[in-house]
Order: sequence, then structure tokens, then C-alpha cells
Amino acid sequence: MMRFMMTLLAALTLWAMPVLAQGNGPLRIEITEGVIEPLPFAVPDFVSDSAAGQELGRNIASVIAADLNGTGLFRQIPSSAHISRITSFESPVQYADWRAINAQALITGAVSTDGAGRIIAKFRIYDVFSGQELGAGQQLVGTQDGWRRIAHKVADQVYSRITGEGGYFDSRVVFVAESGPKDQRAKRLGIMDYDGANVQYLTDSTSIVLAPRFSPTGDRVLYTSYETGFPRIYVLDVANVGRRELPTQDATMSFAPRFAPNGRTVVYSLTQGGNTDLYTMDIGSGASTRLTTAPSIETAPSYSPDGSQIVFESDRSGTPQLYIMSAGGGEARRISFGEGRYGTPVWSPRGDLVAFTKQSKGRFHIGVMRTDGSEERLLTASFLDEGPTWAPNGRVIMFTRETQGEQGQASLYSVDITGRNLKQVPTNTGASDPSWSPLQN
Amino acid sequence: MNTGQIISGAGHLAFIGWALLGGVFRSDPPPFEVVEATTISSEEFAALLARQSAPEAVANVDTPEPPAPGDSAPPLASIPDTPPESTPPPAQETAPPDPAPDVSEITPPAPAEVTDTAPVLETPQEDVAVVVPQVSPRPKPRPAPRVAPEAVAPPEPDVRIDEVAQPEVAPEEGAEVPQEPAEATAQEEAATEIVTEAEESKDTAPTSSLRPKPRPARPVAQAEAPTPTETPAPATTETPRPAAPATDQSAVNDALAAALGTGQQTDTAPSGPPLTSGEKDALRVAVQQCWNVGSLSTEALGTTVVVSVLMGEDGRPDNGSIRMDSFSGGGDAAARQAFEAARRAIIRCGANGFNLPPEKYDQWRDIEMTFNPESMRIK
Repeated sequence: MMRFMMTLLAALTLWAMPVLAQGNGPLRIEITEGVIEPLPFAVPDFVSDSAAGQELGRNIASVIAADLNGTGLFRQIPSSAHISRITSFESPVQYADWRAINAQALITGAVSTDGAGRIIAKFRIYDVFSGQELGAGQQLVGTQDGWRRIAHKVADQVYSRITGEGGYFDSRVVFVAESGPKDQRAKRLGIMDYDGANVQYLTDSTSIVLAPRFSPTGDRVLYTSYETGFPRIYVLDVANVGRRELPTQDATMSFAPRFAPNGRTVVYSLTQGGNTDLYTMDIGSGASTRLTTAPSIETAPSYSPDGSQIVFESDRSGTPQLYIMSAGGGEARRISFGEGRYGTPVWSPRGDLVAFTKQSKGRFHIGVMRTDGSEERLLTASFLDEGPTWAPNGRVIMFTRETQGEQGQASLYSVDITGRNLKQVPTNTGASDPSWSPLQN
Repeated sequence: MNTGQIISGAGHLAFIGWALLGGVFRSDPPPFEVVEATTISSEEFAALLARQSAPEAVANVDTPEPPAPGDSAPPLASIPDTPPESTPPPAQETAPPDPAPDVSEITPPAPAEVTDTAPVLETPQEDVAVVVPQVSPRPKPRPAPRVAPEAVAPPEPDVRIDEVAQPEVAPEEGAEVPQEPAEATAQEEAATEIVTEAEESKDTAPTSSLRPKPRPARPVAQAEAPTPTETPAPATTETPRPAAPATDQSAVNDALAAALGTGQQTDTAPSGPPLTSGEKDALRVAVQQCWNVGSLSTEALGTTVVVSVLMGEDGRPDNGSIRMDSFSGGGDAAARQAFEAARRAIIRCGANGFNLPPEKYDQWRDIEMTFNPESMRIK
């Protein structure tokens, strides 16, 4: 009986502990469910003293808003809904007015020009509901024709300050611009801002070009050209559009090049005697090293961010699958085991994910998986999606989507790694094979 | 020999004699089967044995001699069959070709009269019963710009989007108490998870299924429409908030707390009855409606922050008192992002005061909220 009473007392004590705890301290609750929705923000026109400056301030605010809106993580509150008007960069913010329209973040700025004709832009970011400035204000200086870059840099700072991740707006994309009918399609290399603005062409369309890839510093581009009739790899300097062919053996085909993170080494595929294997080449000396010797097809190599490993595509198991091996070669381990065919793997800049193209049940998908092959997630589905490339912050993927039929055309799309915010990237012509640059300096 | 022995001997003799002669040890003959037998002679028996014995082995077998090496194959004596006589079928006379039709007199059919106007469908009468189809596709989660714990149906187009849904209140003419006109509001459309294009187009559902689940109920505010009262509408702070229904556990906790003597608290400890589970749930739901993690980094989504806040008696948080007590699972930068998102949630949804019982203010004056986004990472 005594033992029973002791047990009952112990159970009663344990049961009563939460009640006692509540009585002796603050009320404790745990929040585990929230919402995922774009964060409302307001970005009034950057103030300026001159009429020309006001237009510039309006344009800068417009680009900032477009950048943030385009992420799918933010939602602009249109200026028509603003209660307060920002007339001075130094004036105190009327938080109540911005709270009233549910603006959770506020970006204010001013733009002016100095004696040398350069643009000076200042900005501040506010957390409206807490009534505090987020970080310190900043100032950017740039050329007149570089105002879009200034706007992108401001948007990068806002994005980074609120989300905690690096931005990707001040970056560029090199791609294959396509024109003409499908059976006589002309292709040339193009380069543009990440949002499709400022398109320039790096080559003419006299020969087919494929798979351009930015260097880690964004100053050079590797690509494959059929100029000689055989696929050959070229390296092109973006600043002066100068180019040179990487030395390869005769009677071979070299393609699918990609820079190593050190920027001095290139990994690529080389077909010789009907067998395709992976090689690396030192760009300076031209010395090449063979990485694989399997009788199967090994292609589409991509380095890990630290340069220690390579993910690639191989059909050694009978169907194209993804494998990872050491950057120096050696035994590879398979990481894709799902149903279908996997290809064009690209290692995330963060190093945690691999983006890939998957063909399954007659449809193409862009997907991501962890580097051990787990947590595979398909983000898109269409007649033809392929060739993913990562944004510099590893949060967004751009890829090629081609529509069906004789009139089908390739275009560029982007999608968040959560699968949200799938949208087309505006281009003047057909576009394929995108490669995203790192953030510009 | 005495008389007793004589009597005993006589008795035994009589008993033995009765046993032997009286049939005590006689048993009935056992039953037996009768089998009919036939007598046969020795010759017939020998003939029977001869039929059952094994046949004799053949000692000498005539084996054919192998052909000599020089022997030629014997000529085949078969006579080829004569083909059967067949008579060719009589040639059929080819029918003379048909004369070319004379199309000169054929007139093309008159073109059908086609009008561009679409046929007008008859509007079914309202009281006509509609047969519910037996087969319907399985409902799939629809993509929505907002992901929330509870799915929310798309609001009416002319309804203002707000955190709290409420019906429109129009001033009623002749009412004893004037009512504040209020615009109808509804929550933004929401799904319970992120639906990618691949998942959206996936066609793995069976071809037939039960009826799809009903759409999410309209915002509950319709059921909570304010009813006219005889007194002017009181301020929010003075309105006694309806206590949320307590669960059995809370009732047990209340009883247990009372039994354990919660009155023996120190001066610094809160006084009064503790909040019920329902009341705490209401606070939790109110905060999570504004806890937007959509703009957080991956690392911040893996960071749990503990935030403390002091509350006013009107249920509003003291914004200046909100601070981060601790964090886990991420670095300083991620914790800062997570804390800012948590702070925004507390301030935004507490701007009009949380629904907390005023009589228990001592219990919720100091609140510690743990924001754990673990389940939000896999949405």
C-alpha cells in the first residue's frame, strides 16, 4: 500500500510540473506553424533635387521593386497606396502611415550627381513594425549609364538584409541566342543582365555554339563551337570578346566544358574512338589529365564549390545517372536512383544541392537533390526542360524550356528551389543554355 | 473341527460349485465371419501359378548385320505421285468499264447554314435536382501564393484582404443602437503546402474516387458576427473576451493546480488561475497567422529563437520589450533574421490586442514564445 501511494505521488508530481512551472515563470508557448507569403514592402521614388535626378530616382526605385518582386519573396505596395510621401532622405519616417498599409519593410533613398557626372545613390532600410532601421544606411557611386547596376546593388542589400541570404540581382547571364526555324536555327552567344536587360552578343551566328559557361570570376566564358566541323572548346574574354581554342587532339571531339573553382582548370568531355570520358586541362599550359576510363559515356561534369569533387552524368549502369567522384578521378559513387534518366548535373554554389535534368514518363523536369542523392524534388514539368544553372546565392535556378512542334522555341525560365515563383526570363529572341555569373564587383 | 468351520467349508464348497456349474465362467462364443471357399484341383492350382510367374527371357535375339562399307544404298522403290489433274478455272469475262458519270447536271449541295452565334443553353430550373456524378477527380492541393497552416478558399473579388475575416456591417436604419459600419474582410487565399509545377501536373490519382473534400469553410467570422447590443459598442480593451473552450486536460490542470495550492506563490509569481489550453492555443494561433517565414534564408529556417515580450493589460505587446532570449540551430546572422520575423509577427498580430482573458492578466503579462520553424522547412 505504501509503495502504491509513493507511485501515485510521483505520478501526480510529474503531472503537476507543467502547471507549477506556469505558475512560477512567464507564460510559455511554442509556435511551430507559420505562413509563407511574400513580405510587403514599399520603395518610394528616390528623392532628388533636380528634374533629371527625379526621373533617375523613379527609375532606380522601379528596378529595385522589380528585383524584389521578382524573387517571389517580396510584394511591392504600389505608390498609389502610400500615405506618407518621402520628400527628404533625412526626414524621420512616419511608421504609423506605413503600418497602416501593412508595409513591413520600407526602402528610402536619394540620388544626386557629383561634379564628374557620376551618380551618388544613398538608401536606408526600415523594419516598419518594429520602428527600427535595418542596419546602417549606405551610399553607392556609379556611372550614369550604370544606374541599373546601382539599383540592382541596392536591391541586393535589401534582399540580403531581410532574408539573410546573399542577393543575385547584380549578376549577368550568358546564353545561346536562337533565331530562325527549327531545322535552320542560327545560334550565337549572348550576354545580358540577370533580368534580361542590356543584351549583347559575343559571337556571330556563322557556326553553331553550345553550352557557354562563366568562369568563377565572371570575366571569361567557356563554350563549344562547331566552327571546324568538330566540336571544339573555346575560352572567350568577356571584356574584349577575344577568344582562343583550347588545345585538343586531332580526330577527337571535346565538349561540355566547365571551369574549376580556381579558374585555371577546365573539366570537359572528350570523345575518342567512340568512347567519351572526362578530362581536365590546365588552361595555361594546355596539359590534360584523363579522369575516367570506363567504356560508357561520361559527360556534363561540374565541380563542387570547394573544387574537391565532380558530379557528372554516366550511363555505366545502363541508363544515364548521376555520379560523384574525387576531382582527381577514381571510383565514383552513384547518387541518383529514381525512375527515369538523369543528366546535366550542376553543383549548387552553397554546396548542399545538385540541380539536374530528369526525363521520366515522357516529360522533362528540373529538380534538385542533396549531394548524397536524398531529398530529390522535382520543381518543373514540361515537354522539354533542361540545362539548369544556379544563381550566385544558390536560391534560384535558371534553365531552358522548349515548346513542342515545328514552331517550338526555346526560352529561359527561372524557379525558386522551393518550386515557387516559376517564371519566364524576358529575352528578345529564342534563348537556351543559360549560365549564371557570380555577383559583379 | 468345530461347527463354524464346517459351516464355512460347506458354504465355500457350495459357492464354488455354483460358480462352476452355474455358468459364471462360461462366456458366449465370439462372433466369427463366414467365408465361402471353393475347392479346386491340383491341375487348376498349377495353371494359376503358371499365369502369375514372370515370362521367360529371350535368350537369342536376331540382330541385323551392319551394312558392308562398299554397299550402295538400295534403290528407292517409291513411285512419285502423279500430280492431280486440275482443270483451270474458266476465265471470267471482264465486265465492261462503267461509263463515266455525267456530272454536268449535278448541282453542288447548298452550303449549310452556319451562324456565329452560340446556341443558348436553357437555364435549368432551380428546383430541379442535380444528380451528383459518381466519379470525380481526387482533389489536389492547389498552388497559392500564400502557404498557411489552414487552407483558405479564394476570397470574393470585392472583399478586402485582411488578417482577420469579418462580414460587412451596414448601419441599420431604426436600430436602437447605432452600429459602426465595417467593411467586409477575408483572409488571403492559402494552401497548406508548396505545390510545384511537377507536383501540380503529376497525374497519379486514381480515375475514380469518392467525392472531393469540401472546400475550406468560409472564414469563421461570419459565425461571430457582432450582434446588436443594448449598450454602445465597448472598446476592445473593455470587452470581456469569450474564453475559449477548455479541454479536458486544462480542466484537470486547473483542478490539480487548485489542489496543489497555487495560492502559495511568492510575491513575484503571477497570481490567479493559469490560462487554459484553449486560451494558450488561441494566442498561439493568433501569433502564427502573422509569423511569415517566406522571406527567411534556409539557415534562418533552421534556427529556433526564444523571444520574450511584456504585455499590456489591453492585450497589446510592449514593442520595446521584445527581445531574443536565446537561439539554437543557426548562426548569429540567421538568428537575427529569425528574431526579426518573430518580432514582426508579435507586433503585427498584437497591434489590436491578443484575445487573452483580462482576469488572468498576471498569468500572461510576461510571455516567452519559442518560434520553431522546423515544420515550415518541409512545406
